[in-house]
Amino acid sequence: MPPAMEAVPAKPLFYDLALNFVNFPTLAETTDEALGKQKASGISG
Amino acid sequence: MSGDKASTKEKSISTAYVELHRFGQNGEYDRGLKVANRILQLSPQEEKAFHCKIVCLIHLSKFNEALQMIHKFQGLSKNLFFEKAYCQYRLNQNKEALATVEQVEELDYRLKELKAQILYRLESFNDALIMYQDIIKNTHDDYADERETNLTAVVTQLQESNVKTNVV
Repeated sequence: MPPAMEAVPAKPLFYDLALNFVNFPTLAETTDEALGKQKASGISG
Repeated sequence: MSGDKASTKEKSISTAYVELHRFGQNGEYDRGLKVANRILQLSPQEEKAFHCKIVCLIHLSKFNEALQMIHKFQGLSKNLFFEKAYCQYRLNQNKEALATVEQVEELDYRLKELKAQILYRLESFNDALIMYQDIIKNTHDDYADERETNLTAVVTQLQESNVKTNVV
């Protein structure tokens, strides 16, 4: 005989929101510099 | 000439960062990882490239590798508390993850969110509740619904554990 059915609480839904905050750091100072150089060479060359 | 060599290297690094930035925005983390590695080969002390590399590894679900990198290169990862704790959390090293978070004096929004999740995993539902109340009061982003769901889970578990302790 299987044991009698028993109600157990469902595991509540829980989201991993922290993953959304795993992002690159600001690369502006490194990329702007590069973009500036590319533009500069575009004008002169 | 060594001066020319240096500026060529600098230029390649700048160009690589432009690529890296684009891959980050497009969520192309496998290609981003390659570029970050290329920068680190040219200039091993690039903190930003290292940070990007860790972010790529996390999004590629390579939590073990990311954590090993963080441990191996402590100088480069000295500010990556959030990333380190997140890897530990995903590897189910919840106590270690909490210890990493608690090394930071002033928690930013990312560390608060992660700490709430860690506390939930550790079944510290009371502390998790306090965290979520603080986060919800002070945050206005696109994840309000999901956060309410998490809060509901905390409250449900809290009631559950109160019932249990009352019975025993």
